[in-house]
Amino acid sequence: MKIVYTDVLVIGGGLAGLRVAIGAKRRGHDVVILSLVPAKRSHSKAAQGGMQASLGNVIKGQGDNEDVHFEDTVRGSDWGADQEVVRMFVNTAPKAVRELAAWGVPWSRVRPGDREVIINGQKVTITEREEAAGLIAQRDFGGTKKWRTCYVSDGTGHAMITAVGDQAIADRIPVHERTEAIALIHDAGRCYGAIVRDLVTGELRAYVAKATAICSGGAGRLYRVTTNAVICEGIPTAIALETGIAALGNMEAIQFHPTGIFPAGILVTEGCRGDGGLLKDADGHRFMPDYEPEKKELASRDVVSRRMEEHIAKGKGVKSRFGEHLWLDITLLGEKHIRNNLREVYEICHYFLGVDPVREWIPVRPAQHYTMGGVRTDHTGESPTLKGLFAAGEAACWDMHGFNRLGGNSVAETVVAGMIVGEFIADFCDRAENAVNIPTRLVQEILAAEQAKLDALVGGRGTEDAAALKVRMQEIMTAKVGIFRDGPVLEQAVAELEQLLVRSRNIGLRCKGGGANPELATAYRVQKMLKLALCVAYGAYTRTESRGAHFRQDFPRRNDAEWLRRTLATWKSGSDTLPTLAYEPLDVARMELPPGWRGYGAKDYIDHPATAARAAEVEAVRRRMAGADRFAVQQALMPFAHLLPARLRGRNERIDERF
Amino acid sequence: MANGTHRKLRLHVMRYNPRVPGDAPRLQTYELEEADGMTLFIALTEIREKQDPSLQFDFVCRAGICGSCAMVIDGRPGLACRTLTKNLGEEITLAPLPFFELIGDLSVNTGKWMRAMSERLEAWVHMRAGELDLTRIEERMDPALAERIYELDRCIECGCCVAACGTARMREDFVGAVGLNKIARFRLDPRDARTDADYYEVVGDDAGVFGCMSLLACHDVCPKNLPLATQIAFVRRKMAREGLG
Amino acid sequence: MQARADVIAGVGLKDKPRKSRWPARMDLAQSVTGLLLGLFMWGHMFFVSSILLGKDAMWTVTKMFEGYFLFGRPYPVLVSFVVAAVIALFVLHALLALRKFPANYRQYRAFSAHRRLIRHGDTTLWWVQFMTGFALFFLASPHLFQMLVHPGLIGPFESADRVWSGGWWPLYLVLLFAVELHGGIGLYRLAVKWGWLQGADADASRRRLAVAKWTLTAFFLVLGLATLAAYMKIGYEHRDRAGERYVPARVQPAPVGGGGQ
Repeated sequence: MKIVYTDVLVIGGGLAGLRVAIGAKRRGHDVVILSLVPAKRSHSKAAQGGMQASLGNVIKGQGDNEDVHFEDTVRGSDWGADQEVVRMFVNTAPKAVRELAAWGVPWSRVRPGDREVIINGQKVTITEREEAAGLIAQRDFGGTKKWRTCYVSDGTGHAMITAVGDQAIADRIPVHERTEAIALIHDAGRCYGAIVRDLVTGELRAYVAKATAICSGGAGRLYRVTTNAVICEGIPTAIALETGIAALGNMEAIQFHPTGIFPAGILVTEGCRGDGGLLKDADGHRFMPDYEPEKKELASRDVVSRRMEEHIAKGKGVKSRFGEHLWLDITLLGEKHIRNNLREVYEICHYFLGVDPVREWIPVRPAQHYTMGGVRTDHTGESPTLKGLFAAGEAACWDMHGFNRLGGNSVAETVVAGMIVGEFIADFCDRAENAVNIPTRLVQEILAAEQAKLDALVGGRGTEDAAALKVRMQEIMTAKVGIFRDGPVLEQAVAELEQLLVRSRNIGLRCKGGGANPELATAYRVQKMLKLALCVAYGAYTRTESRGAHFRQDFPRRNDAEWLRRTLATWKSGSDTLPTLAYEPLDVARMELPPGWRGYGAKDYIDHPATAARAAEVEAVRRRMAGADRFAVQQALMPFAHLLPARLRGRNERIDERF
Repeated sequence: MANGTHRKLRLHVMRYNPRVPGDAPRLQTYELEEADGMTLFIALTEIREKQDPSLQFDFVCRAGICGSCAMVIDGRPGLACRTLTKNLGEEITLAPLPFFELIGDLSVNTGKWMRAMSERLEAWVHMRAGELDLTRIEERMDPALAERIYELDRCIECGCCVAACGTARMREDFVGAVGLNKIARFRLDPRDARTDADYYEVVGDDAGVFGCMSLLACHDVCPKNLPLATQIAFVRRKMAREGLG
Repeated sequence: MQARADVIAGVGLKDKPRKSRWPARMDLAQSVTGLLLGLFMWGHMFFVSSILLGKDAMWTVTKMFEGYFLFGRPYPVLVSFVVAAVIALFVLHALLALRKFPANYRQYRAFSAHRRLIRHGDTTLWWVQFMTGFALFFLASPHLFQMLVHPGLIGPFESADRVWSGGWWPLYLVLLFAVELHGGIGLYRLAVKWGWLQGADADASRRRLAVAKWTLTAFFLVLGLATLAAYMKIGYEHRDRAGERYVPARVQPAPVGGGGQ
């Protein structure tokens, strides 16, 4: 049996994992990254549009700062986010962009002078300031008051992971490619690493570490129609769940992106709409202003996706062989803009649809896009229940997105959380009491148990087909746990998924070979994915309100009185067919921004009893401190700087705000 | 379209698992019915789900941006995920990328090679020494320069250029177009403090830019249409000047 | 904040022994010798083809190179000097090009299989270049040697007799194709290798270069075949008097002194 010892085991080689690893390594700790694929091929790469950070360089971003970014993010989350974490995030995002700039990301830059842009379907000339010349540019994205999304053409994620991946190579951080963590090693409430399968040889190894960080992204492949890469199956999230100790937060909060190309579900960036693209129906009518007169196409994603499905339900969809869809029209942006700033979009339309977006409209329909929920952590990124287990990025419920994430906040989260959690992991490893003291015998037992499970799959007499179970699960999730949710349908979905889970315990393999055996991988993965699917479906069924991306037709209002709470799912026993749900209340009395209307979407909601009092309190503080600088006001409302690692506490300079 | 009008495709897939003793490379034929908008990703996934669960291949993004699924399609390296079957004949031959270590069937270890190449070329921005104060406004950069850097930064390390390279076929230590493009990219970047003398150290030999025989298959197969011919010529001129100086 | 002094310019390189500059020099030398040889071949073809304008034209060109019009009498040794220089370039170019040849049978087979599979124009052209280059070792050498030691045996009858009565025409026929293909492809490759003649659209430039290359190759092949045919015809007609030197009508009345040998 092979045991690999290291200080920090990072599961996932995407942006979050790489940045966590770099942070810990530069503090002097040994790090090993496990990755299903070469790190630079991780799904972070698919983030096209950009990364939010309140630099305020472009004229349409003038006046932007952490406060505005904070409010946009909290409103976007439909008040489901942890506001302290959001503060930590918005304060670090500009630093992250600037660090990446120094690491070589070729951010698109500001050209001073006049330029023509499309706003609300009209050509408008805006004039960029001379003093911003050559600084990092921002574009418009949904749900933001200012133009805040820093971008590299429409290959932002690609450019970011290239630069961060290069730095990881410079730091000599080993990436064990084509490996998959299939179980966490834990004992007495402490996590010690993972049991890992080599996807080339099929061999199992144990990786023992002081700190284990799950940075494995989302679980989009629970759905049939998703923008996510095929590796986004959420397995590391599931193995955290399988400990029975770590909890998953808000798994029912699933985002659907308005513009997946139809029918393949491949993403075309929000930048299309940010740059002026319009959504049109079967009649060629631009319908979003009818629903959302203020933000139109640029309301938050949950709202736009819902409006699109609503419009299709009204019979306004375009009928096609594969079902109905709507149109995304970017022809008005012009060839030069599309070929330069929306190049990936151009390529995707060209290769997958045979459509030239310069002249033709793009068929789109909302597709699963993002998992707001994940491994529940505190502000340091550590699981509050399983010591030594950390999570960052999409895999975590840190929780800065609440029930809906804003476009451009996900890649931002990966690197920001990477910077912050990387420091906390280094702190954790620095402390003497966190030395690894798990007996080798125990590691061996855990490994043997996992080996036995795999052997049983290969050698057993099961009759169920793993691939078929997976497809069925995906179909149930897309059909019944999608954008519009309804009690009876969800109940049905939960029951069906439970049956699938039971059946998955009786999987038989056609391919009995050892080694890589892709069918074996499908088999153990589907068992784990079904547990995640049940967390989503059961959480959605139980949450009898609508919040952010979670929309219940039978409970269409946000209900702060009962549901200003975070869902925590645990899987108590291997024989269970449902997760155990618990709820963690969000403390209104400590919120800097008490719950209210988001500025778009539904206006009616049920207030939390404490909201009025807190709103008055906040109002009073703001009145009393009128004229004081914004940092002092913020400090009075909800201090957060002490939560950040010391080296990340500084204030961010801007051309309009110097210190 | 009615079912009857769909073509029957025959996929001839190179099968070989070097880890199975006694296994020998062979072509295995799978038949399936074409569907509208079918890509090789969809076709191979269907084969694995319904016909042969043991078939090995690599797909990640399935959107032409991650570079995982490069394979030899009817003789030419390309990205399988964005190859529409309608652009191919009814008989399709698929083989793994040559040159790279074979994992099994259509799966090759491009990642390992790329990492080694990056380490060898020190393919990262070599920053100037000193403190980087992240609270300060970032350094300015000419917007056109940023765009030119991104143009070269678009490489997805899929390995098509190396697989198509006749030079690499004869010289296993050749850095390939992917490596030379990286050097061009970092040389263009003012944030990288290296000089031509430093770059000469990593590509100034016959395993580097002087090994290139300008066959330009790299340029012609690059799925991202990177300007490889121009960039390799550029690096060659700079390194030749460095060599004479 | 983030101190990054540990990853800076020249890390690990500064104290390393500097890499040899020879690869750069050899690469340049290969290109320069190839360029000179290529240009020489084109010029050579023009001079040789002067036979198509008549025997006198060819005689004039020959004598020009022998310095006849400069010194009043021919010095064939001048030709030997040029030939020696060409041989030097030829040998140097061959030696440098050898570096790129398949070093063993395994490499040969690997490239050959690759070429067949990928069906890529420029890759196939390299194979042609490799084959013709290899052939040129054997085909060009006898001709160069002949010219080196018998520089005086160049002329309308002298050359034609060598072609026909000397039986050299099969060699010249093959040599013609080898040289024109090798040189044409080589000059095209030089242009793309160093990025010469490149416009704003590099792909369009390369397409234009390829068209120019094929046009020139076709032109020189036609010219070469016509020229060879002309020499063969003259040689055939002159077969009974093979060995006789050519003297143009306009210089015949002059006393024939030590002209030639």
